[in-house]
Amino acid sequence: MNPFSRFVKRLAILFGRARFRSELDEEMDFHRAEVEKELLQNGMAPETARSAAARRLGNEALLRDQTHSIVGFSFETVLGDLRYAVRQLVHSPAFTIVMLLTLGLSIGANSAIFSVIDGVLLKTLPYPRADRLVRVFLSSASFPKFPLNPFDFRDFRAQNRSFESMAIFTRGDVQLSGTGEPARLNGFGISNGYFHVLGLQPELGREFDQKAEIPGNGLQVILSDRMWRTRFNSDPAIVGRKITLNMQPFTIIGVMPAGTEHPGNEYHAVAYGESVDVWWPFSFAGDPNRRGSHYVEGIARLRDNVTVEQARAELNAIMTQLGREHPNNDVGWTVLVIPLYTEIVGGSRQMLLVLLGAVGMVLLIACANAANLLLARASARQRELAVRLAMGAPRVRVMRQLLTESLLLSFAGGALGLLLALGGVNFLVSLLPADFPRTHDIHVSGPVFAFTFLISIFTGILFGLAPAWQAARTDPKEGLQKGGRTTTGASHQSRLRSALVVSEVCLACVLLIGAGLMLRSLLNQLHLDPGFRQEHVLTASISLPHEQYKTNAVTGRFYQQLTADLSELPGVEGAGAGSDLPWTGWDENAGGFTIEGTKPPPGKEFHARYHMATPGYFKALGVPLIGGRYFNDGDTETSRQIIIVNRAMADRYWPGENVIGKRMSFEDNPKEKDWMTVVGEVGDIKDQPNSPRAEPGFWWLESQASNSDMSVVLRSTSNPELLADALRNEVRRLNPELAVADVQVMDRIVSASVATPRFAFVLVGMFAGLAVLLAAIGTYGVISYSVSMRTVEFGLRMALGAQQRDVLRLVLVQAAKLTLEGTALGVIASLAFARVLKSLIFNVSPTDPATFLAVGLLVIAVALIACYIPARRATQADPMNALRAE
Amino acid sequence: MAKKPDLLPGTLDMLILKTLTRAPLHGYGIALSIKRLSDDVLTVEEGSLYPALQRLLLQGWVKAEWKMTDTNRRARFYTLTASGRKQLGLEVSQFEQMIEAIGRVLSDAQEV
Repeated sequence: MNPFSRFVKRLAILFGRARFRSELDEEMDFHRAEVEKELLQNGMAPETARSAAARRLGNEALLRDQTHSIVGFSFETVLGDLRYAVRQLVHSPAFTIVMLLTLGLSIGANSAIFSVIDGVLLKTLPYPRADRLVRVFLSSASFPKFPLNPFDFRDFRAQNRSFESMAIFTRGDVQLSGTGEPARLNGFGISNGYFHVLGLQPELGREFDQKAEIPGNGLQVILSDRMWRTRFNSDPAIVGRKITLNMQPFTIIGVMPAGTEHPGNEYHAVAYGESVDVWWPFSFAGDPNRRGSHYVEGIARLRDNVTVEQARAELNAIMTQLGREHPNNDVGWTVLVIPLYTEIVGGSRQMLLVLLGAVGMVLLIACANAANLLLARASARQRELAVRLAMGAPRVRVMRQLLTESLLLSFAGGALGLLLALGGVNFLVSLLPADFPRTHDIHVSGPVFAFTFLISIFTGILFGLAPAWQAARTDPKEGLQKGGRTTTGASHQSRLRSALVVSEVCLACVLLIGAGLMLRSLLNQLHLDPGFRQEHVLTASISLPHEQYKTNAVTGRFYQQLTADLSELPGVEGAGAGSDLPWTGWDENAGGFTIEGTKPPPGKEFHARYHMATPGYFKALGVPLIGGRYFNDGDTETSRQIIIVNRAMADRYWPGENVIGKRMSFEDNPKEKDWMTVVGEVGDIKDQPNSPRAEPGFWWLESQASNSDMSVVLRSTSNPELLADALRNEVRRLNPELAVADVQVMDRIVSASVATPRFAFVLVGMFAGLAVLLAAIGTYGVISYSVSMRTVEFGLRMALGAQQRDVLRLVLVQAAKLTLEGTALGVIASLAFARVLKSLIFNVSPTDPATFLAVGLLVIAVALIACYIPARRATQADPMNALRAE
Repeated sequence: MAKKPDLLPGTLDMLILKTLTRAPLHGYGIALSIKRLSDDVLTVEEGSLYPALQRLLLQGWVKAEWKMTDTNRRARFYTLTASGRKQLGLEVSQFEQMIEAIGRVLSDAQEV
């Protein structure tokens, strides 16, 4: 008979299951009756014949089961097990709910973190053969990661054999006007072949050609898909149209498709993602022998069979040659070639892996807890198992049945966890720092489902193994005799359960120490003196298009007028403008200046961050004056050149001296008019709140240096957000075509700067909280179980004169032993993990004794509280009951 | 009571099929018949008889139908099918080959 008709037969039996059973039963009955008749004929007494016949037929239930297993599908026994498991779980709702919550929360947390890891670390970047893409930077002793010079790039591009293609790009925002509200657009200047390197093609039109790299070859622009849709109604005939950018007519030559992601950049960073609005052709000319300015970032696609290492070696060889040709500029640099993937996610990898580790520990604790609960239940079910074994159920079947139960629990927990993850992922993403890479790639997607499925199986088997193994060792005779009250495996089992609790406490301790360290690190950052007063400050940025503001005088006058007008507004305490704001990463380096009366050490040069500020800037930001004076309205573009320095600069270049009146210049042999005189010294502001120290820096007077892109700072007497509209109005009054961008309160910039430590702390803190709760439940369970086992013993002790106090101590000592072991192991493990945490915490030693001590005490306290309830119960043991029970 | 030899593994199906060549029988009848024909040497355990019958049914080597016995009780009677008969032939010849082979080995051993 062919397999198909066998299958059909099985199906028929499956659907006519009831009939199959009743027929089988009837057949057996008939058989037994015949055997009985035969025995009677042989002269056996009717009673004996009946039982002998039954005995000969053996275990009917087993026989039925075996017969059925021949014709049944194998999934039918699984279904049977499942049905039984569901009944068991429904019958003990408290147990089931605790299990599902434990598993759901921990699996959900794991799935949520895995979603982040999947989106950020595992998904491939959205470029064809993205593993071939690399970023190119320069590096020197003072500047570990620095942009390229365009002429150097041109030589790299012409001479290298490692890259299929190579391009540069640089940030340059543009102002769109003429269509609706003026807007500042995120823009990048790109060399020819930039999109080709990325492996992307315009949806409409084309990329910039090589001619566009030469200045004066027409004003061209490529739009992003979003720009094209939102500002230009997805006009299919847009290529060739002119739009006004920076007050000049630009021709649209292309539109990029949706999903064109910016690969991220280092210098004036725009986050990775669909964050760019327009691309314009980067053009450069001038004297190719002057290669001092570095402002373009390299990106390249490796040829097949060329490694990152080979490319790096080749570019360094070219750089060495360039150093020979241009000894003034190109000496002292090495070339960095960094895979794009590393560049984008490298910084967040460590934190994500730490989080994965933390959440994995939560899962292990949940497993230990679940195993503990199941073990306790298994002893209660000892009798049931003994009965089933005595009835002839094979041990393997009983084990399978128990594993089915735990897998059912873990899958239900997994499903619950997935629901939690769906909500949790949005919460996680909202917590992530704004500059975190690839946040828009984070979803609960296929891999997350697969991951949840796998860890559900993993947890189900892990916590189901112990009780199943225990069941396999059950002796049906003893199990039946003792009625499940005390069990054969009791001492062995209690050892196992104690070990589980010790490991739970240990893991919870590790997590709590991690959370404690992160909390201290976060507090350290929050309590740092930022060097300015962040409250009541509104900021915005304005960019003056060169076309309208061609001279320093015009630019200077605009900002002077604007800050003067703003100061007049009601509710404004002070107004100013500066080239950058604290902690936003907008800083520039100036090197090679001259300081009157000193010389830099040989082979080195003086350097400092340089900024520009209007007279009101420092006061509006609340930067304290240490000596001298701030800029004031008497300082003009025509008066002598003046600067203000920060304390770090004063200490570095004029240590121990009064810095006011000192002079510096950007000329090598300054004439009298080239000197800039220090008129004030202000307090330090670090590059980032967690930077190790402030760097030297100085401020030019805006009207003397002139910078067209400035950040406006307004100090308000009340809620600074209320000034936003007034600010926009004032700007519009001066020039209706100007866009006011990045309007935000300083508080938000400050809070964004601690977003990363806050994210790490909130998550690890939540995991630690969950871990401690689970460990407390676990400890409670074990102690409470052991108390119930020892009720008789306690009763006897009290009958023999022990006080309640003594019994209480007896139980608490047992609990304290477990907790102390766990805590000690946790402390040791944390010391081992210290290295991993080091890069994630700020100003705290990863072995900070205060944190370790506090966490140790907290864990012990929580565990003892968890044990107090069962310990109290132990003291209620009634001596009379105990004696009677024996 | 002397222990009876177990059935040779794999021979139960063949024995069942063989007993059915003469007439349809019910399960008890098959067991009885094997016992009688073998002069009480072979005993079929009920625990293996009924699973084996289900296996044969599933293979299509026997058919089953409910009929009345001589004593007017309902019982399930098993009948050999054509493919069952073929299978029996196959199993018998395989079995005989095997016995012959074993016999050859044994007789050789006696001569030494």
